[in-house]
Amino acid sequence: MIDRGAFHEIDWVLIGLLIVNSVIGVIFIYSSSHFLPGNYAMKQVIFIVVSLAFLFLCLAVDYKVLMTYSLYFYLAVTAVLAGLLVFARLVAHTKSWIKLPFFQVQPSELAKIALILLLAQIFSEYKKSTLSSNVGIQAILLVLGPFILVAAQPDLGTALTFIPVLLAAFILAGLRKKTIAILLVVSLAAGLVGWNFALKDYQKKRLTTLFYPSQDPKGAGYHILQSKIAIGSGGLTGKGFLKGSQSQLRFLPARHTDFIFSVIGEEFGFLGVLLVMLTYFLLLARMFLSVGMARDRAGVYIIFMASMLIAFQFVVNVLMIIGLFPVTGVPLPLLSYGGSSLVSNALAVGLVVNVRMRRFANA
Amino acid sequence: MIRKDRIYEDLSLILKRARVVFYVLGGLLALILGYYWKVQILDHQKYWQLAESNRLRERVLSAPRGVITDRNGKFILADNAAGFKVSIIRENIKDFEASYRNISHLLGIDEADLKARIEKYGSVAAFQPIVVKDNLTTEEVSRIEARKLEFPELEVEIEPKRSYPFGVSAAHVLGYVQELSPEDFKVGAAGKRHWGDMAGKTGIERQYDDVLTGEDGRLLEIVDSLGRSRGEMARVEPRQGKSLRLALDYDLQKKAEEILQGKEGTIVALDPKTGEVLALASFPTYDPNKFISRFTPEEWLSLVNDPAYPLENRAIRGVYSPGSIFKIVMATAGLDSGFVDGQTAYFCGGALEIYGNVFSCWFKPGHGMMNLTNGIKNSCNVYFYNLGRRMGIEPIASYAKLMGLGRKTGIDIPGEKDGLVPDPEWKLKTFKTAWYRGETISVSIGQGPLLVTPLQIADMVACVANRGVCVVPRLVPPENGKEKSGKTAVPIKRETFETIIQGMWMSVNDGGTGRGARVEGFDVCGKTGSTQWISTERAEKLQQQGKEIKKTHSWFAGFAPRSDPRLVVTVLVEFGGSGGATSAPLAGRIFDLYRKKYDR
Repeated sequence: MIDRGAFHEIDWVLIGLLIVNSVIGVIFIYSSSHFLPGNYAMKQVIFIVVSLAFLFLCLAVDYKVLMTYSLYFYLAVTAVLAGLLVFARLVAHTKSWIKLPFFQVQPSELAKIALILLLAQIFSEYKKSTLSSNVGIQAILLVLGPFILVAAQPDLGTALTFIPVLLAAFILAGLRKKTIAILLVVSLAAGLVGWNFALKDYQKKRLTTLFYPSQDPKGAGYHILQSKIAIGSGGLTGKGFLKGSQSQLRFLPARHTDFIFSVIGEEFGFLGVLLVMLTYFLLLARMFLSVGMARDRAGVYIIFMASMLIAFQFVVNVLMIIGLFPVTGVPLPLLSYGGSSLVSNALAVGLVVNVRMRRFANA
Repeated sequence: MIRKDRIYEDLSLILKRARVVFYVLGGLLALILGYYWKVQILDHQKYWQLAESNRLRERVLSAPRGVITDRNGKFILADNAAGFKVSIIRENIKDFEASYRNISHLLGIDEADLKARIEKYGSVAAFQPIVVKDNLTTEEVSRIEARKLEFPELEVEIEPKRSYPFGVSAAHVLGYVQELSPEDFKVGAAGKRHWGDMAGKTGIERQYDDVLTGEDGRLLEIVDSLGRSRGEMARVEPRQGKSLRLALDYDLQKKAEEILQGKEGTIVALDPKTGEVLALASFPTYDPNKFISRFTPEEWLSLVNDPAYPLENRAIRGVYSPGSIFKIVMATAGLDSGFVDGQTAYFCGGALEIYGNVFSCWFKPGHGMMNLTNGIKNSCNVYFYNLGRRMGIEPIASYAKLMGLGRKTGIDIPGEKDGLVPDPEWKLKTFKTAWYRGETISVSIGQGPLLVTPLQIADMVACVANRGVCVVPRLVPPENGKEKSGKTAVPIKRETFETIIQGMWMSVNDGGTGRGARVEGFDVCGKTGSTQWISTERAEKLQQQGKEIKKTHSWFAGFAPRSDPRLVVTVLVEFGGSGGATSAPLAGRIFDLYRKKYDR
C-alpha cells in the first residue's frame, strides 16, 4: 500500500502554497484577536501543524484504498451527525460541536471529505457522457442526508458547502440542458419550501439585508455594513498592520473567523487583497490543473471535487464580506481561525496530492 | 513512464469539463477583484468617512455585589457605595511627557508607575479610557473636576464599591473582597471576570462569591474624534448579585463583640436545632473596608505583623486545648460504653498517683466522694483521671470523633481547621513512638495533644443539647428544601445525655464551676474549662520563685433552656484566667440577652 516510489512524487509546491496561505491566516488572526484573551494565533499555529500531520497521514494510503472504505466513513459520519442533533448541547446556538477534554471537533467538516470519497467511488464506475437520472438521484439522496442533519444544527453555511461537491460530480458526469433545467426548477422549489418552512427568521433576515444592507444598520445589516466600511476605508495601501480602526476597535464581527478577509482589506488595502487573492489563486490553479495528472477517472473526480470545495468556500466568503452574498457563516478556507475546518481543508488538499503522487502506480 | 501494458482510460472529456470550470472560476475571481477595486479605490472616500465617524467605545458597567444582611434583613452588613475612578484618554494628550508629569503630581502617583501602566495598554485604541486610579476620595474628585480644563485627558467615572457599614463588626464572618490578582487569572480562579474586578477573599464573601457577584453590563458608545460620547449604540444593564440573608442575629453579634472588646478571644452562638450561627465574634478584629479603599503600607504591615493576629478568625482557625470542657466527652464515653454508671464514685483527695506520677485536682483540699454528675458540676479532675485510666485512650478518641472533634464542622466559610484527637495510631505516625499510658490521663482532662476549635466545641455542645443529633453550623440558612439539613443522629443512648446534661445543669445552677452563666428562669446548662500551659506543680514552683506565670485560657460552653434547647454559646478568652471566673459570666450575658429578646 505504501509505495516508496510515490513519495518522490509528492507535490511540495502545492503543500507549500497550503502553508503560505495558512501562515497569512495566522498573521491576520493575530491582528484581529491579539487584544483578546485566548491566544488564537498560537492555537492556529498548532492547528496548522496538526492539519499537516493529518495531510501526510492521508498521503500514506492510496486514494483507491480510501475509496473502498468511503461508504463506512460516510455512514459513520452521518451517524455522528444524527447523534449530535440528539445529544449535543448548544455551543454558540448550534449543535455542531463534539466537546472533548481539550478541544472541540466539528464533525460536519469531516462529512465533506466523506462525501468526496463516496461520490468519487460511485462516479468512477460511471462512464457515460452525460448524467443519467438514476445515478443523479442516487447521488442527491446521499448528499441530502448529511445536508439536512447539518442544516438542522443549524449550520446552513457548512451544509451549503456540500452542494459544490455534488455539483462538481455532476459537471464532470455531464449535464444536459434538460438536466440543468430540472436542477434549477428543483432547487428553486426547494428554496421556496425552505423559505416558507425551514429557514429561521434570522436566516431570512440575512437574505433580505443582502439587498438592503443599510435598512437596519444596527441589526442584521450591521455585519455586512461594518465589513464593507472596513474594506472600503482600507483604500489602496491600507491603514497598516494592527492599525485598522474597524478591526482593532472590535467593530467588525467574527474578525478572526468569517471576516478575516475584511481585516486584510482594511489593514493592507487593495494591494493586500490583490496579493492574498493571487496567492490563493495559485493554490486553486495548482489544485484544479492537477486533474491532468490523475491516473484514472476516480482521481479526476477527487481532485475536481476537492478543488471545488475550497474554491466555493473562498468565493462565497469573499463575496459575503463585501455584501454580495448573504452572511451564511462560511469561513475563508485555510485563513480563518478554526481547527476542524483547517483539518478538513488540508485533507482536501491532501487528497489532491495523494492522487497526483500515484499517477504512475499500478492500481 | 507511461507503461504500454496498461490500458488507460479515456479521460479527455471529463478533463475538458474540469478545465472549463476552472477558467470560469478564474473569470469570476477577476470580477470579484474588480468589485473590490470599486469599493476600495473608487468609493474609498465614502467608506473612509464612515469609518471615521463610526467609532465605538465599549465600557464595562460594573455590577454591584449582592447585599448581605442579618437574619431579619434589618441590618445591612455588606452594602455598595459609590466609588470614583479616574481614567486617561490618550488621544486627548498632546505632550505625553508633560502629561505624565502633571497627572502624577495631581493624583499623587508615581510617574514611572503611571507611564508603565499606560504603556501596558499600548495596543488598546487611543480613545479607550485606561483606569489610572480608583477609590478616589471626594477631595481628589473635586480636585480633578476643578482642573478639568487643564486636563482634557482625564475622566472621572462612578462605579459601585463594596462597603461594610458596621466596619469591624462581624468582619470575620463577612470576610472581605479584593482586586483579583494576576495569580487568580493564572490558576483560572477568576472565571469570566476582568482585571481589576473585586472578588471575595475570605468569609461569606469568598464562600458565596458566585451568588454575590452580579453580571457586569456593557455600554457601546459612539464617540467623535475628540472622544466625546455622541450617543449610545447598545446598552446591557449590569445585574446586581443576589442578596444573602445570614443566620446572624445582629443584636447577639453586637453583644458578643461588646463583651470581647479589649480581649483576645471568640464567642460563638448557635441554634442547636438547625445549626444556624446566631453570632460569631473573634477579637481582635479588623476593618474590611480597608481592603477596598487600600491600606497604607504601614497599616498593612501593622495588621499582618500584629502578634494578636487580628485577621485570623479564632472561632474556626484558633486551635486550643479544650481543658475541662472535654469532660463532657469523657463522661459521655464512660457512661455510654458502660465503664461507669451514675452511681460509680471516686474519692478526690486533691491529687491522685497514677503510674508513679502525681496528678493534681484544681481544688487542692479535694472534692471528697464524687459521682459523675458531681464530677461534672465541680469539674473534678481526679474523677476523670480515674475514668480515663479505666477506659484507656481508644474509647475516648472514638467518642470524641463521634461527637465531631478532630474534623471540620463543615461551616460555610473557608479556612476551618481540623483540630486533633490523638490516639496511638496518630502518635505512631507522627512521632514514631508508642502511646504512653500517662498521656491518656492528660487527655482525660482535655490536655495533652488534644486540640479543638471553639466552633467544634459549640457544635459538640449542640449535639449534647439535641440529645445526640449533630448539626452542621450554617451562616447562611439553607433555602427550604434546597439542601440537606446536615443533621446526623449519633449512636449514643439518650439516657447518657440526660445524665451529662444533669451534670451541666448543676454546674451552672447548683453552685458548680459554671454558676457565673446562670440566668434566672432560663435553665442554662454548661461546662467551664481552663487550659493549663504548664503543669500545676511547675506553676507553683515558678510562683514560689516569684516569677510571673501566664494565666490559663478561659472556656465556657453551654446551652439553654435545658428541656428545649434553642441557644448554644461558647466563649473562649485567651489568657482569661479560669473558665468559671471569666468566660461563664460573659456567656451568661449572651444567654440573658437572648432570653430577653425571644422569651415571653
